[in-house]
Amino acid sequence: MSMVYVNIFLAFIVSLMGLLMYRSHLMSSLLCLEGMMLSLFIMMTMAVLNNHFTLASMTPIILLVFAACEAALGLSLLVMVSNTYGTDYVQNLNLLQC
Amino acid sequence: MNLLTSSMLTAMFILLLPIITSNTQLYKSNLYPHYVKTTISYAFTISMIPAMMFISSGQEMTISNWCWLSIQTLKLSLSFKLDYFSIIFIPVALFVTWSIMEFSMWYMHTDPYINQFFKYLLMFLITMMILVTANNLFQLFIGWEGVGIMSFLLIGWWYGRADANTAALQAILYNRIGDVGFIMAMAWFLTNLNAWNLQQIFITQHESLNMPLLGLLLAATGKSAQFGLHPWLPSAMEGPTPVSALLHSSTMVVAGVFLLIRFHPLMEQNKAMQTLTLCLGAITTLFTAICALTQNDIKKIVAFSTSSQLGLMIVTIGINQPYLAFLHICTHAFFKAMLFMCSGSIIHSLNDEQDIRKMGGLYKPMPFTTTSLIIGSLALTGMPFLTGFYSKDLIIETANTSYTNAWALLVTLIATSLTAAYSTRIMFFALLGQPRFNSLSPINENNPHLINSIKRLLIGSIFAGYLISHNIPPTTIPQMTMPCHLKLTALAMTIMGFILALELNLVAKNLKFKYPSNLFKFSNLLGYFPIVIHRLPSMMSLTMSQKSASMLLDMIWLENVLPKSISHFQMKMSTAVSNQKGLVKLYFLSFMITLTLSLLLLSFHE
Repeated sequence: MSMVYVNIFLAFIVSLMGLLMYRSHLMSSLLCLEGMMLSLFIMMTMAVLNNHFTLASMTPIILLVFAACEAALGLSLLVMVSNTYGTDYVQNLNLLQC
Repeated sequence: MNLLTSSMLTAMFILLLPIITSNTQLYKSNLYPHYVKTTISYAFTISMIPAMMFISSGQEMTISNWCWLSIQTLKLSLSFKLDYFSIIFIPVALFVTWSIMEFSMWYMHTDPYINQFFKYLLMFLITMMILVTANNLFQLFIGWEGVGIMSFLLIGWWYGRADANTAALQAILYNRIGDVGFIMAMAWFLTNLNAWNLQQIFITQHESLNMPLLGLLLAATGKSAQFGLHPWLPSAMEGPTPVSALLHSSTMVVAGVFLLIRFHPLMEQNKAMQTLTLCLGAITTLFTAICALTQNDIKKIVAFSTSSQLGLMIVTIGINQPYLAFLHICTHAFFKAMLFMCSGSIIHSLNDEQDIRKMGGLYKPMPFTTTSLIIGSLALTGMPFLTGFYSKDLIIETANTSYTNAWALLVTLIATSLTAAYSTRIMFFALLGQPRFNSLSPINENNPHLINSIKRLLIGSIFAGYLISHNIPPTTIPQMTMPCHLKLTALAMTIMGFILALELNLVAKNLKFKYPSNLFKFSNLLGYFPIVIHRLPSMMSLTMSQKSASMLLDMIWLENVLPKSISHFQMKMSTAVSNQKGLVKLYFLSFMITLTLSLLLLSFHE
């Protein structure tokens, strides 16, 4: 596979690592989620444009729409947590214990 | 065709008349007590006719009147058995009741409900007559329950007093336990012999009669206050003195003994039952005599004396002498009723004082009562040739010469001497010495009602024993020959009891009363029996039923075993297995490690 795809794929992996390993703020995982969305968008645009796959030209737009929804959802959850606890520290989310 | 049937039924019917006329104006007037008393005296005289006929010719009769119903093969009808026992008991009971009615005309004179009191006493007498003349067990049961109910109503006569209500309830409960035995005997007879009338029961042969006889013994224990079911009798002294005199000395409490006497053909063959009866009676007579020694209420001492004499009657049945027991019933009625009436006279004269420690020196102010009290006590202890001698001495002689349980006989002898002891105690504290009562109580025994009634019973206490025992038809032969020391045993024990009690009382009269010894406490608190038995079994049974019904069934089996245990178990297990602790970071980390691991492993797979 060509270098550019590897590059973008690596960006996605780095963002994924950032999502799964974070210290305390929930915001950092949301930001990494946005980073993942960004790399996916770039990779999708590159693939469509390089392969002249015109029928799939709207998929990046659709991806952006869903990314926006999901970002809004994540932000609303963050706001809820921040309303309850004042901060967005992850160690606050320990009420759901068995 | 002679007059036996008509005169007996007339006598019974006369007794019903004051009850029937209780709706009329007569009941509301103040002549009603007098009317009831004369009714009973007429019934007594008329019932002497069958008694004379029986004595002269030995004629017995069974009257079978009205068939009530037939349940498959069992025919229940109204039948009266007029045999030796009922024909002689009825005049005795009516005579004693006549005197008691006249006495209560004086004793209950100021009571506003005196008419109702007389009606209750009369209803009691009628149910007692039903009991005594019953030929089948159903009619006997009607009389049995009837006397129980009237006893309840009469003991709780002064129902504003909490002690009286408790005592009445206690009487009902203890009698109920005895009734269970009675019903068991009835059920056994019904299912095994298909009969409730006495004739068929006595004829039909069965290999083991233990069960119904046990039931009848339990019934007698309940009704006649034998050991184990005895506390109701001293508590029943909460009722007015005429009630104590009639019910709890002469008539009701002998119903249990009477039942056992009625069934004597069945008891003759059963040695085990006789031994059981003997031991029960022996325990009762000794225990109640011990309890009577340290009581301070004059009516309670006489009540325990009644209980002790009842034990003696049961002992007599136990040595297979039902006729002697019956003779003792008849003679005992006279002097015991008289003792109660004398106590009532003393109590009323001292302004309702019942504690013998607050009486004394009544020898001079109340000569007539003193005389009758002393004669009654002497008759009770079996002074030769007074009334009690003819029955009690014969019983002790027969007991001494019979081949039975020696312990029971020894105990009976000890109880005989204790009888003399507590009688001496009553006489010493109530009559002798210096007065210890309030000097303002007007001591007056000059009422003709009081004097006449006690006088009649006094004549009875002196002569009735002789008259009855020389006129009855011959029955089981008493033991005629015995060694001299055995014959004099009863007299010796009595004299010893008298002398000991008199000495102890005189010696201890002016000594300081120290702390009571253990033996005193045992005797005074009735052997701790009511204290223990009234609290412990009820608490234990209630706790056990609560534990079994509520704790065991409800909370353990219905709640905890399946529903709660399953949910609890599941929760514990899910907590142990799934360890969600809200550690979001660790979960993400594990996700990443899984991804990496799978990528690495799968990329090296060819």
